[in-house]
Amino acid sequence: MEELLQIAQKKGCKAEVFFSEGYSDIVSFEDSKLKNIDSKILSGISLRIIKDNKQGFAYTRNLLNKEELVNNALKSLKGGVDGFFEFPLTQNLKNLDTYSPDIEDISNNLLVEECKRLCDTILQKISCQINVTAQKTVNSLRLINTSGTELSVISSSYALTTELVYPYSSASLYRVIAGKSFIKAGDEYINFLTENYGHSLKEVKANSGRMKVIFLPETLYVLMWRLQTAASSNSLYQNISPLAGRIGEKVFDEKFTVFNDPLNDSIPGARAFDDEGVQCRQFPIVEKGIFRNFYYDLYFAERLKTDSTGNGFRASVSSKPSPALRHIYIVPGDKSFSDLIQSIDKGIIVGGALGAHSGNIPNGDFSIGISPAIYVENGNVVGHIKDAMAAGNIYETLTNIIDVENKTYISHGGNCPSILFNEVNVIIK
Amino acid sequence: MFYQLKQILSQTTAQYADIRYEILGETRIVFNGKELIHIGTNSSDGFVIRVLKNGGLSSIAFTKLKDASKALKTAEQNACLLSINSKKPVEFAKTEVYKDSFSPVLKEDPRNITIDEKLDLLRKYNDIPLSYEKVITTNIFYNEVIREKFFLNTEGTEIKEDLITTSIGGLITAKEGSLIQNIRVSGGGSTGFSILRNRESEFENRTKILLELLKAEQAKGGIYNVLINQDLAGVFTHEAFGHFSEADLIEDFPSMREKMQIGAVLGIEILNITDDPTIPGQLGFYKYDDEGVLARPVKLMKNGILSGRLHSRRTAAAFKENITGHCVAEDYRYAPIIRMGNIFIEPGDKKLDEMLDSLGNGLYLLDAKGGQTSGENFTFGAQYGYIIKDGKKAKMIRDINISGNLYQTLKNISAVGNDLVFCETGGCGKGQLNIRSCHGGPHILIKELVVGGV
Repeated sequence: MEELLQIAQKKGCKAEVFFSEGYSDIVSFEDSKLKNIDSKILSGISLRIIKDNKQGFAYTRNLLNKEELVNNALKSLKGGVDGFFEFPLTQNLKNLDTYSPDIEDISNNLLVEECKRLCDTILQKISCQINVTAQKTVNSLRLINTSGTELSVISSSYALTTELVYPYSSASLYRVIAGKSFIKAGDEYINFLTENYGHSLKEVKANSGRMKVIFLPETLYVLMWRLQTAASSNSLYQNISPLAGRIGEKVFDEKFTVFNDPLNDSIPGARAFDDEGVQCRQFPIVEKGIFRNFYYDLYFAERLKTDSTGNGFRASVSSKPSPALRHIYIVPGDKSFSDLIQSIDKGIIVGGALGAHSGNIPNGDFSIGISPAIYVENGNVVGHIKDAMAAGNIYETLTNIIDVENKTYISHGGNCPSILFNEVNVIIK
Repeated sequence: MFYQLKQILSQTTAQYADIRYEILGETRIVFNGKELIHIGTNSSDGFVIRVLKNGGLSSIAFTKLKDASKALKTAEQNACLLSINSKKPVEFAKTEVYKDSFSPVLKEDPRNITIDEKLDLLRKYNDIPLSYEKVITTNIFYNEVIREKFFLNTEGTEIKEDLITTSIGGLITAKEGSLIQNIRVSGGGSTGFSILRNRESEFENRTKILLELLKAEQAKGGIYNVLINQDLAGVFTHEAFGHFSEADLIEDFPSMREKMQIGAVLGIEILNITDDPTIPGQLGFYKYDDEGVLARPVKLMKNGILSGRLHSRRTAAAFKENITGHCVAEDYRYAPIIRMGNIFIEPGDKKLDEMLDSLGNGLYLLDAKGGQTSGENFTFGAQYGYIIKDGKKAKMIRDINISGNLYQTLKNISAVGNDLVFCETGGCGKGQLNIRSCHGGPHILIKELVVGGV
């Protein structure tokens, strides 16, 4: 890696080298039967250079020819992508506990046994199609640049997802357990799935209208996606953010607080620095309904004449950093999940969302198929509805919060509680 | 290359193993508004090994040749673990042994075009929407993906095949007051660079529709009879029906498998659906899939009756059905899974005017904006539409998502147009991305669809 920096420097460039290496094993069960065990051992390296305020970028998987990688980056300089920012000098970062050595002792056999145990335990309680995946991953990153930064991190993660599938649909109720190493799925985890699935198995009919709706931690990403888009410095720069000029303004319900929370190393994926070597820090995006901060990477921070917030992340080694909120934390409220359900006279739990990626995302609009749409009547889960959609706009929906659950769960949307909203438009066939 | 791959597989103790080595060349140019934000050509490579041992099938992807022995050993261990824990051993359907090298015929090989020319062309297209005052930004890209694949298995098959995909497309965004609207633009395919030339009118037309969207009404949620255009019909076929023709998705999905029996009457008599990766010139074209099986057309629905399914060697054996050559990977980071090639509703006999007439009152929806399926249920967005009154186009509508149940919708199709069109760009994300996922269809008329407005 150092050699790459030297070659680039000799060509008169400032440079940054990003290296990622890791392995993963994934075990999957379908309908309670072991279906697949797949492994990956992948590595990659990318080089970003700046010369005369222009940026060049190149990547490869096998660093067989260092000169070629540098030449590819030099060739891409010619296109004229602006690069007015400096690679940062970042040192003396807080040491985060991101790696649990126990992960190395998790055999695929253990993953198989845990999935099997879960299927057996659930099948004793309820008869249904169960899909389970368990994955362990170890990944190390290293980043160096010509400003003198030398950073590295090794991370471990274990994640297990159990889905209980509704007949004749792949609609499923699911929940994730995640940690830095193996965590045995406990009774609370199993009961959440079996009880809510069991009570909602019956197909029921209901009428369209505005009603109370719970988004689970697993489905809140539908709304958070729109918020993340609006709070991104990329949207601000492109003049498409509805939050432009509104820092300090109360935009959402006061029960709604969202943090960028990269330093929480009690959960997997914590980061002290982002993928371009800027220090990560905790800060609010929304605090008690007040919009507080946009998030920035180096490029958009320079464009908008401010500092990076440490949110420059890469989708993989083959992409340049761009602003991303990888560590969302929604502050929990004071009601238990069953309290939330009990406060619904007539409403729906969004167990899964279809089509979250369509609709006018920058505008905050969403229009999703609810799959499953778990129906609640007089404080009890009574069944599920087929052919239901929920539609709205986050600038209305997020102002209509009745209560926030008192516990958070890790899902692909972040570390979130369930949230109960009022007056969400639900269309039912 | 084959010699090296043979050396690696020679160490296996499994009854079957295959290895795929790929060199992936990618050229990407991206504009955000006037600003060029990315340009570059890169090459990366890697391997995927699959082993079938004692009835267990496992795969491993790796990027360094020095990891080959370790990778093979890991895959074999995983296969044994699978075999111990599975009641039914995996078998592979028989296929012929091929030794072949195949490169598609291209009209202008993109590798022979300089990156400066690609940049100039993209800039020219990007400038078209940006010349309109209300267009506030664009996100327009040029994407070129060149997969050079070397496949070898222990049965003696050795195939070299190149897949070359070029596309230009992205999103154009306009704003009026506080209303932001966007529209997608796309073009490309598997036939070389020339397909990207002379596309100015495409960018002009899309921009005009976008500006009209700023004046359009929001769709009102409800149940409507709808006419959907070719792109939406293609997405419907892909999302709602096609995925359940993929044997791996229903294999361990008892309730769907029960409904997707060959011979089941699922649609109306005028409905015929085929997947055919062998149609020359279409985006989804390939000769061999990523387990070395020769691709072939599959009639999935004949006169409303389910008549075929897409298979890998494993599922063809498990279902006791014919192999089809539909097991495809994104690139060297993935083992292959069952994929559609070119899926389409075969054209019927109705003209567009006739269909609008028979719709009478309802909605005419055009162009897909993302789609997703969950068992019987699907949801997808339309980029724009029109309210139809007495068979005539009235106001334009925006922010449209439609949702429905596969089986009901197949039965609610009331007319099939005569105007089949295939899409030029794809992006199916079934665990991995398939940029060559191609769908097509004519206009189709559907009764009683749920439309979610805002």
